[in-house]
Amino acid sequence: MTVDVSALSEGDELPSLQLQPDLGQVIRYCALIWAFPPFFFDADAARAQGMPGTIVPGPLKVGLIYRAVEEWLGDAGFVRQVRAAHRRPDQTNRPIVVAGRIARLYEEAGARRADLEMAIINEEGQPSVRGLAVVEFREP
Amino acid sequence: MPDESLLTAEIRALIGRTTPMGTVEITLRAVRRSLEVYLGAAEAERRTRDLVPGDPVAGYVIEALGSDFNVESDGNGLPSVLPNSLLISNEWQFERALRLGEHLTVASRLADISERFGGKFGYSLDFRTEVQFAAADGEVVARNARSMMQYNAAGNEGAGA
Repeated sequence: MTVDVSALSEGDELPSLQLQPDLGQVIRYCALIWAFPPFFFDADAARAQGMPGTIVPGPLKVGLIYRAVEEWLGDAGFVRQVRAAHRRPDQTNRPIVVAGRIARLYEEAGARRADLEMAIINEEGQPSVRGLAVVEFREP
Repeated sequence: MPDESLLTAEIRALIGRTTPMGTVEITLRAVRRSLEVYLGAAEAERRTRDLVPGDPVAGYVIEALGSDFNVESDGNGLPSVLPNSLLISNEWQFERALRLGEHLTVASRLADISERFGGKFGYSLDFRTEVQFAAADGEVVARNARSMMQYNAAGNEGAGA
């Protein structure tokens, strides 16, 4: 999908992205960064740390926001920035939704850009992450 | 909660400290593995099948580029002021698309330290670190930043929400 940049308005919502990060994805992420804190893949270790079970690493979740933005943007530009502020943990194998809306459309440094308000919502409807993304649109 | 600020002049002096870490190459393997994490193996295969050096790659690869430098432990050089730590935010920034085959110079920078009194975790110190990736001309083209909060869980009984 590639978004129609000429039709965008502030307040427009991005298509929501429904995901369910599982333990396999978490382990692949640990391998990618070559760091293996046991509470990410061992439920007993997670509970010993006061967590309800294995959780989705916070740094992995910024990439899930990136994915939602990239899928919406398509070939219409590139993602300049993605930020995730972590509010509460997400357990593995639980559904989450990545949602977003256009907060601001503007010109900067000769380019057309947009600020996007992003969030990851857990199955209880609570935001586990509040986020921000900045995209730069390609010249038409 | 401490009687006085733990954000001492000695700790403040660390702000801005930059530690050179080495160089990385954006390899096809790093691109593919990062895509597998976020998009799955089939999509990773589809996206990398026809990639050639110089092609732009998705930003996911930034997570793979710091792994050679043990950024999580010694590499970020954070002082351990309080016993517990928690990731409060992280961020990817790109000045332009990264490209397959390019070599980047990597440096870790302690960008900021701030303190908070009260709240859910009581007194805390927030450390913002950035791993910066610079092109051959020295221009920083990407940053992978995170803010870690240090706090004392044992000394925070009865703190407000």
